[in-house]
Amino acid sequence: MSLRIIAANLVVSIRTFSREKSTMFFTIAFPIILILVFGTIFLNQDNVSFGLHVQDLDQTHSSAQLVTGLEFDGKIRITAVDPAINAMQYAKGKKVDLVLVIPSGYERALARRLGLVGGIPNAAFRDPNASVTVMYISDPSASSTSTKIQILKAGFALVNQGMSGQPPFIKAAETSTLTKAYRFIEFFVPGIIAMSVMTSSLSGAVTMNAELRQTGVIRKLSTTPITRTEWILSNILYQFILAVMSTMAILAVSYAVFSVRLKIDGWLFVFIVLEVFAFGGIGMILTRVANEAESAAAAANFIMFPMMFLSGSFFPLELMPGFLQTIARILPLYYVNEGLRAAMVLADNHAAVRDAAMIGAFATVVFIVGIKTTRWEEAA
Amino acid sequence: MRGRRPSPVVALAYAIDVERLTKRYGDLLAVNDISFHVRTGEVFGFLGPNGAGKTTTVEIIETIRTPTSGHVSVLGMDVATRKRDIVPRIGVLPQGFSSFDRITVRETIQYYARLFGCRKPDIDGLIDLANLKDKGQEQFKNLSGGLKQRLGIAIALVNDPEVVFLDEPTTGLDPRARREVWEVLLSLKRHGKTVFLTTHYMEEAELLADTVAIISNGTIVAMGSSHELIERNANYLVLTLKTIDGAPFDLIKRMGFEPVQDDHKTVKVRVEQPDDIQRILSTLKEAGASSLSVDVRKPNLEAVFLKLTGETLREGPVEEVPG
Repeated sequence: MSLRIIAANLVVSIRTFSREKSTMFFTIAFPIILILVFGTIFLNQDNVSFGLHVQDLDQTHSSAQLVTGLEFDGKIRITAVDPAINAMQYAKGKKVDLVLVIPSGYERALARRLGLVGGIPNAAFRDPNASVTVMYISDPSASSTSTKIQILKAGFALVNQGMSGQPPFIKAAETSTLTKAYRFIEFFVPGIIAMSVMTSSLSGAVTMNAELRQTGVIRKLSTTPITRTEWILSNILYQFILAVMSTMAILAVSYAVFSVRLKIDGWLFVFIVLEVFAFGGIGMILTRVANEAESAAAAANFIMFPMMFLSGSFFPLELMPGFLQTIARILPLYYVNEGLRAAMVLADNHAAVRDAAMIGAFATVVFIVGIKTTRWEEAA
Repeated sequence: MRGRRPSPVVALAYAIDVERLTKRYGDLLAVNDISFHVRTGEVFGFLGPNGAGKTTTVEIIETIRTPTSGHVSVLGMDVATRKRDIVPRIGVLPQGFSSFDRITVRETIQYYARLFGCRKPDIDGLIDLANLKDKGQEQFKNLSGGLKQRLGIAIALVNDPEVVFLDEPTTGLDPRARREVWEVLLSLKRHGKTVFLTTHYMEEAELLADTVAIISNGTIVAMGSSHELIERNANYLVLTLKTIDGAPFDLIKRMGFEPVQDDHKTVKVRVEQPDDIQRILSTLKEAGASSLSVDVRKPNLEAVFLKLTGETLREGPVEEVPG
């Protein structure tokens, strides 16, 4: 083992990287673009607001009060519909997914129910059977319609319950399982780090094994004092440098643009190292199975893309059907995603240890198999 | 590393010694029980058509392939057990040499110098030797085929090796680039290096090699200097006459020779003695049979190869000699 030889290889790799625009793009710019795009899309996910069109046919003080109440502190943006027009035609013509119609006679019915005499409630005049029927004119195919109706129903139930004069029986309280509040972007950043380390290690291993073998560079190297171990180690070291560079770029953008709050400690380092070994090992095995550089690169893509989507890099696994969640648990990238989130977002050391053990065991096996399958001297 | 085992102080007579080497790939017998020596300081030409077993043999000697049977030693060391000691003392230009695309000529030489642990590599000297003076800052991918090969030769010399292997150094190059590579090889020869040159160009072997071994189907069919090989296997002359009518053909035939004639009235005749040329020419002169041009040639290695193997060294027309 010679440090001089490893250093010489690193110099060549880094020079090549700095002169190869496409590698630079996929290592640094691509993950940053992903962060910016997804981060912006989901930036306001925590305070989403819905639009609601309301036609108030009653046009009284009480009905106006109801409409204001429906804004639910800004969760719903109300658009008033002219009472003179046909609500059905309005919904169709303007392609509105939901129009709420408050009937005329709303204030009168309310007064009878409350037994209002000259604006003052009087129990003797109360009519418990007085009611109004609001109408939902809806397009059930729109995705947000049912959510909006749910919100409205919950709101009306509260009003009805309040009118009964009894306190509610089931009350609810909420406590988060997380020690601090987090945002979607904070879940997303570790996923992008894991993804970009995976792509650069896997394609780096393919380049070093398949392309350089095909062009004959490895044949030349095998007539020099460099050994297979030195060659593989210098490439792994180079992949690690690339991984650190793209991680730093991702973190810098995430902090600068989205002011994320993430815990950055030794775990980040541990997971990057393990991931580089794991996917470097997979790459070495792949290039032995698929002998030509192009088929090896295709096989690498075939592995990477499903893995990105199935292992929860971009969205929480809970959104996926059960059998896909089971599949995710056999994918190595899943443990990197989970481990990085445990370490960086949830500050959960137990989970991080568990995930690091899983990916570490996997990396050890594939890397050893990868070394064994990498040919150095000419076959036979 | 080098000092660990005592290297021979007295120069070895043979830089390479191959005894009964055989290499099989499954059912294919690539190299069939060959033996030869390469003397220290000579240029040894390993000549044969594609697929004859040249590269397999040279890669076994370079320690990157293992033989099926037989014994090979380089600089007195067995390739099977002394790879680590052999590698620093040899230089290799592999067949179809390639390097890192984005690395410049100078950086590439530097890189290989570091692999060999050269303390003060003479990079400028190597660039001069390979005639790459203006190309030091050029990236490998921008070099022409001839420049790439010359860089490959410079790299093969980076560790000042005692034996240099050049596997088909001019294959795929145009005639001019080939001649430029030959210039470099000739200056290598002047430096007194032991060179093992594999090629399927007989001009290359004739021009550069002190000793030529002809390999065909995994077997060495002839070995010696190109002069010896031609004397031994093709000891005759070919007289070529451009004629204007059929008269010379008939006259020569009547003298007891076996001339051949093509559509363009070119007559070729193979003769054993230089005197025969004289006889033919005076007979023609006396008979008043005129010819436009007269050409006398000794056969080349190509003819030797054809005679010994019945194969041509490369595709395309070969100067065929009647006989």
